[in-house]
Amino acid sequence: MRTFLSTTAMAVLVMAYSAAPAKAAEESPFRCEPGEKYVMNVMVSGVEYWFPVYEMFKQAGKQLGCETAYTGTPEYDVNKQIASFDQALAQNPAGILVHPMNSDPFIEPINRAIGQGTAVVTFAADSPLSKRISFITSDNIREGTYAADAIATKLGGKGEYAVLENPGQDNHDKRVTAFIDRMKAKWPDMKLVGRAASNQDPTKAYQGLMSIVQANPNLAAVFMPEANSAIGAAQANKESGGKILVMCADVNANILDMIKAGEVFGSINPNQGMQGYMGFMLLWLAKHPELIDPMNDAKRAGFNPMSIPFVDNGLSIVTAENADDFFWDKYLKRRGTKGIEE
Amino acid sequence: MLAETMGTTAVRAPSWKRLGSMREAGLVAIILALCIAMSFASPHFLTLGNFRAMLMSFSVEGIVVVGMTILLIVGGIDLAVGSVVCFAMVLSGSLFLAGLDPWSASLIGILASALIGAVMGFFVTVVGLNHFITSLAGMVIVRGLCLIITKGTPLSLFTLPPAFKAVGQGSFHGLPYVIIIFVAVVVLFDFLLRRATALRKVFYTGSNEKAALYSGIRTNYVKFWVTVLCSTLAGFAGVIYMSRFGAATPTFGVGMELNIIAAAVIGGASLNGGSGTILGAILGIALLSVVTSSLVLLNVSVYWQDMIKGCILLGAVSIDHFLHKRKAS
Repeated sequence: MRTFLSTTAMAVLVMAYSAAPAKAAEESPFRCEPGEKYVMNVMVSGVEYWFPVYEMFKQAGKQLGCETAYTGTPEYDVNKQIASFDQALAQNPAGILVHPMNSDPFIEPINRAIGQGTAVVTFAADSPLSKRISFITSDNIREGTYAADAIATKLGGKGEYAVLENPGQDNHDKRVTAFIDRMKAKWPDMKLVGRAASNQDPTKAYQGLMSIVQANPNLAAVFMPEANSAIGAAQANKESGGKILVMCADVNANILDMIKAGEVFGSINPNQGMQGYMGFMLLWLAKHPELIDPMNDAKRAGFNPMSIPFVDNGLSIVTAENADDFFWDKYLKRRGTKGIEE
Repeated sequence: MLAETMGTTAVRAPSWKRLGSMREAGLVAIILALCIAMSFASPHFLTLGNFRAMLMSFSVEGIVVVGMTILLIVGGIDLAVGSVVCFAMVLSGSLFLAGLDPWSASLIGILASALIGAVMGFFVTVVGLNHFITSLAGMVIVRGLCLIITKGTPLSLFTLPPAFKAVGQGSFHGLPYVIIIFVAVVVLFDFLLRRATALRKVFYTGSNEKAALYSGIRTNYVKFWVTVLCSTLAGFAGVIYMSRFGAATPTFGVGMELNIIAAAVIGGASLNGGSGTILGAILGIALLSVVTSSLVLLNVSVYWQDMIKGCILLGAVSIDHFLHKRKAS
């Protein structure tokens, strides 16, 4: 089962333009100037999640004849991410697609970038009080909702469930809240019996789920808003009889193998490719507002008319049936690129 | 103080009195009190299944705690243990994926972890840097190595042979191998630390390095090998985790060092060196596990759990400190 959610009509238009024949592209205004560079900036830059985002960011850049670069800090540290953002900004790029680790600390750097003429789009996490042009993300509410529906449907709408959480991380909190709200609203016979903080740590997930199972031997399902905890949860499930449906969000090779083996029921995966592709397009468009002349007050009021406040990049539900399509190494091999190293 | 810390007394007292006078008695009392309170609060706490779950949850970490405690006693500290655990996992895992059998891959992983300890030990004892800054650098470098080895992608070790997975997931007559290994490591090092002459030098070096040096102990030699031991045990724990979870993720063990150090200190190890016991440190990590499990069983909101956990631990350590001080006076 694979479900792609709709993105905006703008997305379709832009893709239609970029798929135009080469000859038309030469005459097309949809080309970069020589040296026009767009960068992507993240925290914990070695983590696999970003790679498919950058792959399509890079793809969009190539199609429009632009330069692209992958930047960020390998650490989970907002100061270091801001430093890497500033370093990227010092090279005066045309645009930056940034995943701000925390929203408010990025207000000043983003506003400074906008002030010097660099377009900024946020993805997967936002800095709503800054002057960023657009925000592209998967809808965390919908992710939690879909996960709840998948579990409840599998259980026939009746059973006990638990959640393992990562309190404090906004997108994870939203997924969990949406999951529980959906259960309450649509599946009244699904009963929440336990909550534990696993903080993306397999060992904490193991202990949390084992404790919940002790108190609730009829536990039928557990949901967690990320992938790492599923490793520990699956092990706890195995040791307590293997009757619990383990569902998570995001995927990696290990989770995919566990899904294929039936140890993890499924995962909700944001459509990272669209996040990167549309993220680039939003940046490029924002950098080229001269392409349009809309009937509004943007020019007089000093706003960038080429800005779309929000784009939903969609999601996929990954199960044993489609897991093979989500392996990063196979994808990279198929594409024949060097991933983030180019 | 040294004799008491090492569990020896000059005059043989009755065994129950000796037990009561042990440094760990206060901590045992606190854990028992918590268990009794929890048995009333939740009917699911005092069950074999829950105790097994709690023991399983800290057994592998407990192996790292053993190494950290000995290092703290010698006056050192190792902030790199979480990274080394991860390093052993990802190195062994990638060697296995490259075609090596998992046992040899694990051995290489453990030896490479020991080598990391040796490099840190070199910087401490030969270059003259302190343990804190050396291991801080080690933590970052080794985490970087994990990212280089894995290219940021968790390794799926689903194809590990069942015989290897059994180490982390199997059991002997119902008793998990993980617990057996953990108990063996604890008993061995607790005994050595209390009885073996070689490991007494750890206490002497940690208590007063100059005095130990003047009395003929090669303190740098002791510090070097204890640093190697700590990393080796972390590497050993890493390969057990690999067997247990059938995976090796480059972010595994982030922040683990704080839990490990907290457990050792709760158990009576001093950050200034010279005191601590393996049994105490294991009780420390057991206390952390009991508190975590209790909060989950009581359905305490996840937003409150960390704060309540911190308060309980602060209270427990204060009570233990007070009891210890009263006994000492």
